[in-house]
Amino acid sequence: MKKQIEFTRAPIVVPPQPGKLREIGACVEFHGIVRKMENGRVIPALFYEAYEAMARSQLERIADELNAAHPCDELCLIHRLGPVPTGEASMYLRVLSRHRQEAFDFAAAFVTRLKADAPIWKTPAPASQCTAP
Amino acid sequence: MQITVFAFAHTRDQLGFGEKVLTCEAQDTPRAILRRLAPRFDPGKTVRVAVDREYADWDQPIGSASELALIPPVSGG
Repeated sequence: MKKQIEFTRAPIVVPPQPGKLREIGACVEFHGIVRKMENGRVIPALFYEAYEAMARSQLERIADELNAAHPCDELCLIHRLGPVPTGEASMYLRVLSRHRQEAFDFAAAFVTRLKADAPIWKTPAPASQCTAP
Repeated sequence: MQITVFAFAHTRDQLGFGEKVLTCEAQDTPRAILRRLAPRFDPGKTVRVAVDREYADWDQPIGSASELALIPPVSGG
């Protein structure tokens, strides 16, 4: 399985679709978007931080484990760090596989595992931090 | 030997540092190292520990590790 895992402090730019060389029948995409309400109050943004080196190795391991149960061809994950204004994507996931069910199952399980084990944190950001560098 | 201790998110706020280097021995455990660094800090059951970027046991000796990280409940995505 090809894995591309990136962290970025800039708005997510969805990478171009891969070429048509391989036998890919399904492309599942997921955008995690920052909501306006957090714990019952309106927020301007969320601030994300990560232990990047460990997050990357954990996510690669999770992908390998899930790939054994739901064989897929390619994973692309882009996760924002720093302030992410409401309405913007904090993460983007794309899973490619030969058949749809593997890609759906892999994508759902991957997001669940990311939220449980990847050392990434979010906190409501004050308005002063809402401008991305 | 030396080990770098990282603290993240609200654990960093509680401890007052994000990164510290200290001298330790291979038989030291993460719990003993944390106690030495912050005697009053109790990780409880929610703060996990990672040794060389792998989740680890608080009471397992660190061996030749060079990084120890305090991992409060994560919330990525």
